[in-house]
Amino acid sequence: MTPVQDGGRDGEYPQWEAASQAAIQVIRNRSGQGQLATEEDILDELVALNLLEGTPGDMPSALTEILSTAAEGNGDLKEIQDQEGRKRYYSSQLMTETYARLLVRKEGDPLRLIAEIVRENSSLYPRPFPLGAFERSPFDMTRDEILQCLNQMASLEAYRDIARTTTSAGNAFLYSTSYLDPDYAATLAEWIDVGQYDNP
Amino acid sequence: MPSFGGWAGKILRVDLSTRRTWTEGTIERYQDYLGGTGIGYKVLWDEVPGDTRPFDPANKIIFAVGPLAGTGAPCNGRTAITTLWPTCWPKPLVATGHMGGQFAAELKYAGYDAIVVEGKADSPVWLSIADQRVEIVDARPLWGQGIRRTTIEISQMLGPEAAVAAIGQAGENLVPMSVVMNSYSHSAGGVGAVMGSKNLKAIGVRGTGSLRVAGPKEEWERLVKLHLSMLGANNQHVVPDSPQPWAEYYDPGSRWKAAPGRKWGAAAPAIDTGTCDPHNLNRIAYRSNNAAFYLGDVAWKYTVRGNGCTGCPIRCHTMIKVPSAAAKYGISEMGQNTCGGLNFGRSFFRTFPDGPRGETAVEACMVGMHLADDLGLWCNYSQLQRDFQKLYYDGIMRSQVGAEEFKSYSWNKYEKGDPSFLFELLPRIAMKQGELGTAVGLGTGYMLQRWSLSEEGWKRDANLQYWKLGHPKHHANEDAGQCGVIINTQYNRDAQCHSHANFTRNGLPIAVQKRLAAEIWGSPDAVDPVKAYTPMNPSKARMAKWALLRKELHDSLSLCNWMGPWVASPLKERGYKGDDSIESLLYSLVTGDRKSREEMDLTAERIFLLHRALTIRGMGTREMRARHDSIPEWVFEDPEGKAAFTKGTNRMDRDDIALAMDLFYEEMSWDKATGAPTLAAYQRAGLAHVARELGEKGLLP
Repeated sequence: MTPVQDGGRDGEYPQWEAASQAAIQVIRNRSGQGQLATEEDILDELVALNLLEGTPGDMPSALTEILSTAAEGNGDLKEIQDQEGRKRYYSSQLMTETYARLLVRKEGDPLRLIAEIVRENSSLYPRPFPLGAFERSPFDMTRDEILQCLNQMASLEAYRDIARTTTSAGNAFLYSTSYLDPDYAATLAEWIDVGQYDNP
Repeated sequence: MPSFGGWAGKILRVDLSTRRTWTEGTIERYQDYLGGTGIGYKVLWDEVPGDTRPFDPANKIIFAVGPLAGTGAPCNGRTAITTLWPTCWPKPLVATGHMGGQFAAELKYAGYDAIVVEGKADSPVWLSIADQRVEIVDARPLWGQGIRRTTIEISQMLGPEAAVAAIGQAGENLVPMSVVMNSYSHSAGGVGAVMGSKNLKAIGVRGTGSLRVAGPKEEWERLVKLHLSMLGANNQHVVPDSPQPWAEYYDPGSRWKAAPGRKWGAAAPAIDTGTCDPHNLNRIAYRSNNAAFYLGDVAWKYTVRGNGCTGCPIRCHTMIKVPSAAAKYGISEMGQNTCGGLNFGRSFFRTFPDGPRGETAVEACMVGMHLADDLGLWCNYSQLQRDFQKLYYDGIMRSQVGAEEFKSYSWNKYEKGDPSFLFELLPRIAMKQGELGTAVGLGTGYMLQRWSLSEEGWKRDANLQYWKLGHPKHHANEDAGQCGVIINTQYNRDAQCHSHANFTRNGLPIAVQKRLAAEIWGSPDAVDPVKAYTPMNPSKARMAKWALLRKELHDSLSLCNWMGPWVASPLKERGYKGDDSIESLLYSLVTGDRKSREEMDLTAERIFLLHRALTIRGMGTREMRARHDSIPEWVFEDPEGKAAFTKGTNRMDRDDIALAMDLFYEEMSWDKATGAPTLAAYQRAGLAHVARELGEKGLLP
């Protein structure tokens, strides 16, 4: 794949600049919609705008150059990689690294998604995380999917720290024993799910 | 005399015994007390003898607003109501209630900073204020009506834009557990019967004037935008409850409920609350949904929108439309309130057929609001409902109330969680019918006394949340460890202080909270993770002092302490820092009386000290540490026997709390042994005359 007008990166070759601007727009637009931009997204747009020729299935070095150009002076453009090393892009003006990381995890292994969200909550705030929250946006998992994941995780060494506690209201919370001991996690879950409403 | 902005400049005085009204200047006598509770405490100190009782004609009830009321300052819609408190037990003392709604602004636009009512009319009256035209009007046609009919009738006389603060049958019948309410759902608890004792049914205000902001318009607009930019959701929760693209942090327990797909389902058309990026200042009103916060996801389909006070973008009173409630119970399908008011009916029941957050719970809220907000009943921060459950399930009620009266209630309905039970109970409390209705309407302290029950039993039961003097805790050790305990020792009713809890519950990670705490209170150790409390230290005492003084400042300026202070914000680019000077910036620009944050805090200290002095004088003792600043036993216990300072408990340690009180008194420059302010403390705050009177009575340490 090559730029429509072959040439270098400086302003003497306006198509290169236009390609960079288009790439920036794709990334920012996707971020504004709460989504990450893939290399395919960017290439599709460049081809559609007639700024690149060839088959979008290829990953040309020109794209790397275009994105490098785009990044100059646009410090909000960030790259994040998924579990397989594939690149995703987002604008930090419109999306935080926290959310970008969540989206990357969401594309991959749901067990890992659950584990890393639970571990993050257990270590950072710290608090257990309600199981029911995985049913809502942005996770959008079904109850059955969540329970299947937890069943699988229970037998995997990599997830042996992920534990569950149930509050007096009957709601399950997940936590990582690497950061919260069971008793503390249970007390915190009870506070989040029941206590704070009894103490408004 | 310098001319200040903000204040209207006049206080309306009303003597119902003589039916005389007159005005006095605000600035000359009250500038150093700002407004709100400051004016209230000052009037009580100067004019009401310490042995006056709440229903005596000599008691005064002061409706006061501050210089920020009616301006564009965010969260400015509060009216403070100060009087001698009917539910304060065993001896009535000074306390305040606060109501939001439209009353504060309307009073200011009518040209008044406060209304001071004394005496007792010889027959029911209501006070009509239409700008400078003040009349005491015959209220006999309204007497016996609920708050809603009274509001409608007075609005038809004064105009639909009038704000009407009315009592219901509970206040008329001198039920201490009664409210005054304006703007449909905005109540101040505890004062209804004081109005009733004066035969004062309502105050209707219509104001067509304006007020002056002293500072330049552009500067004012910039400051208001700065303040708006730092607002979170209700209770200043600064992160959303679910991950959102713009948010670095989130908290499932946050009151920031807006998210894509969460809709105000009963609006026409339904409105998606969306992501609500904090930089979009036009979407602040979408952030909070207190009906959904308390009732769960079931509430979204019933939500019409948020409602609230003048000048407040938070809209914490959720308006819900529940057609099934209308069909089943013959009540309006519309209801609106927040927190304890929203949950008034629901909180009576231990269980519902479909769980604590099902459809029946929603209906119980609707029935409760329908009844309580019209009868004018007060919950005493849900102490009424907690007491009721204990009295019933422990068998106390059965033994205290006669067999015939006990049988007259449908207890099977109560036990099953049938909201229709409330139709049997609430009117009887408001009308003082029967032993049960009479006793629970007295408030906890007088109820315990009437039924010869031990207050110690209430003080040992953590589930009751009882603190002292007939009132519950309000954000104590469960929210902020020792800081919360200190705060709850200081008042004569539940503390109503949210300064500290708004911070500890803001949803930010503990490391961020500690970073902010270090800047505000001098050490990251001022705050602990929830239920992982560490021993007392001086920064926690500083935090307690700050929390109390800011509460008094808000209550005197007419800012909402349910939202402020604004020391944390949702803005990542600010490191989530708010601005601890917002109150002083707003005050200075509105009034033209330039004061720094430290100077404003000294003013707040003056107001808080006056409350302390009133309490000392009222109790006739300087032994405040021993006799007033008490802490219930349940604070020092854990139901599972966990030790203090271990993870997973709110249990406090006695010696550590004793140290906490020492450090707090030291921070306040009060005498440690007695807990009484010293002469030096009064003098520093410009209250030498107060100290002199207390000294003459032997009430200085």
